Amino acid sequence: MIAIDALAKAFGAKRDVRAVDSVSMTAADGAITGVLGPNGAGKTTLLRMLATLIVPDGGHATVDGHDIVRERDQVRRSIGVLSDARGLYPRLTARENIAYFGTLHGVPDAVMRERADALLAALNLDALADRRVQGFSQGEKMKVAIARALIHDPPVIMLDEPTNGLDIMSVRALREQLRALRAAGKCLLFSSHVMQEVVALCDRIVILGHGRVVAQGTAAELVAQSGAATLEDAFVTLLGSGEGLAA
Amino acid sequence: MLSRILAIARKELVDASRDRRTLTMTIVSAALAGPIFLMLIFNLIASQADKSRDVKLAVVAAERAPALIDYLKRQQVTITVAPADYEAKIRAGDLDAALLIDENFARDVADGRAGSVQLVFDRSRDRAQAAIGEAEALLRGYNRLWGQQRLLLRGIAPTVGNPLDLREVNVATPRQSGALVLFLVAFYGLLAAIVGGMAFALEATAGERERASLEPLLMTPASTLEIATGKWLSLAIFVLLIVFITIGGFYLTLAFAPLPSVGVPFLFSARDVLRFMAVLLPLVALMPAILLWLGSRGRSIREAQANTQLLLFVMTLVPAAQMFLQRKEPDWLLYVPVSAQYVLLNRVLRGDALATIDLLQAALVPLLLTAAAIWAFARTWSREAVLAGK
Repeated sequence: MIAIDALAKAFGAKRDVRAVDSVSMTAADGAITGVLGPNGAGKTTLLRMLATLIVPDGGHATVDGHDIVRERDQVRRSIGVLSDARGLYPRLTARENIAYFGTLHGVPDAVMRERADALLAALNLDALADRRVQGFSQGEKMKVAIARALIHDPPVIMLDEPTNGLDIMSVRALREQLRALRAAGKCLLFSSHVMQEVVALCDRIVILGHGRVVAQGTAAELVAQSGAATLEDAFVTLLGSGEGLAA
Repeated sequence: MLSRILAIARKELVDASRDRRTLTMTIVSAALAGPIFLMLIFNLIASQADKSRDVKLAVVAAERAPALIDYLKRQQVTITVAPADYEAKIRAGDLDAALLIDENFARDVADGRAGSVQLVFDRSRDRAQAAIGEAEALLRGYNRLWGQQRLLLRGIAPTVGNPLDLREVNVATPRQSGALVLFLVAFYGLLAAIVGGMAFALEATAGERERASLEPLLMTPASTLEIATGKWLSLAIFVLLIVFITIGGFYLTLAFAPLPSVGVPFLFSARDVLRFMAVLLPLVALMPAILLWLGSRGRSIREAQANTQLLLFVMTLVPAAQMFLQRKEPDWLLYVPVSAQYVLLNRVLRGDALATIDLLQAALVPLLLTAAAIWAFARTWSREAVLAGK
């Protein structure tokens, strides 16, 4: 469960670039919540605040019941994040990359092997498990990064544009994986600027524009709210323009 | 906490050990530094002609052998009257050598016996080597000249008494020949501590930012202090290895290579290798910490490289300046990192005793700075700005 209340963050010398400007929303357990917004809407900043990497200027948020400012350690233990920055260590194998983060999260070695195998199998990476990630394709690297984010079996999972660079087969496999995690009762936050992605996967959608929540609800609710005929029209109407929103 | 630090250190060591090209370059250049530079130096020395001589000799009771003193003066030796405590001064390095003329010198000569003189010096003083050698050569020259003159007076050709025409070529550049070799060993030991870990330090810091693996790392429960400590630990282990290889290279070269004698009473035993390591240990701790801190301030490896240039410049300038200044080192120098180590390395090379207290004194500031640099590194990475830009 993620609960966000009037969270705000500004950058720049005069704090005049309001990346996130009073965002309030929730993401429930056992559900996939999509954050949809054009580039620069504040998705990455929001995610970084929830991951305790940057401290908000205002507002509150809890992740799995832990305050993101006062209980950073507990928050970090309960999240698995695929952030915008998802670099791997090229000279380590896929398995070593995953296990390194597992160790830092305190996953015991015995459990690690089993979980890594399961993740690698689920993402169709078994054949590459013990090869260095140096020569991996963009999509293969992405899958390793996803496995790395999930190795400690966190209750809250945040994914920033997880389908970037994946081919259609991999996207389908990933969706499958995310639905399984939903069924297991995890709280999933999925950010994307691709409308179809969000619609295909998410139970609830939060539309972000210029650091503010423009609208939130199920796909049907959003259509009704905007008075538009189709979902795509609804997004354009709600955001004021379709700029930056991939079709 | 400790398990995370060790996990980070282990990962860095595995990562570094797989970077074959950088690893090979680092190890090969560390191992070859000794052999190559010693060869170059010996070559240089051998090709240098005996140039400017500037020999000063303190003489006790010069009036007992006026002919000898005149001879020395003709050879451009500056004769001074030796102070009463000349032995102490020579031990302290304030006086290169003293010539003592026996009180029976004139009588012995008149009676047809050999006149006795003593040349007093401290062979372990590298700075005095040239002066000592020069004084010895001059005294032998006088001896030979005197003998030849006696033979001539008796109508015998000088070659009868000197069938072997031995000509000494003084290959010593003024003063520095021995010192230069010693300087090189000390200098490369220091340099290995600085340069040995440079590539990997930048890879482990600026590299994390460059390939966008830093943000995920910072999201783990590992604190920046744990990350900094783990990375420092791995790099310190690596640098220790590099320094050991460098010193070992010099040791093996000096022990086994057929090098020409350059008049250096040079003993560099396996024990000295260990003493070297003991002296350099504080720098093995300090340099990785500073390199990591500098690296953490760069957004890319290239940017971080610029930061390290200045460090390299300052660190290598210090021992070079010390060598060319050629003064007796003041006591407070033992508190200055790099300078202190250079002083102690020279003591090892001179065969002087290495007092534990001196080792601790020289380690104090570097160890404090190590802690400070690790802390500064951790702080740099806990700032939000570290996430901006890739």
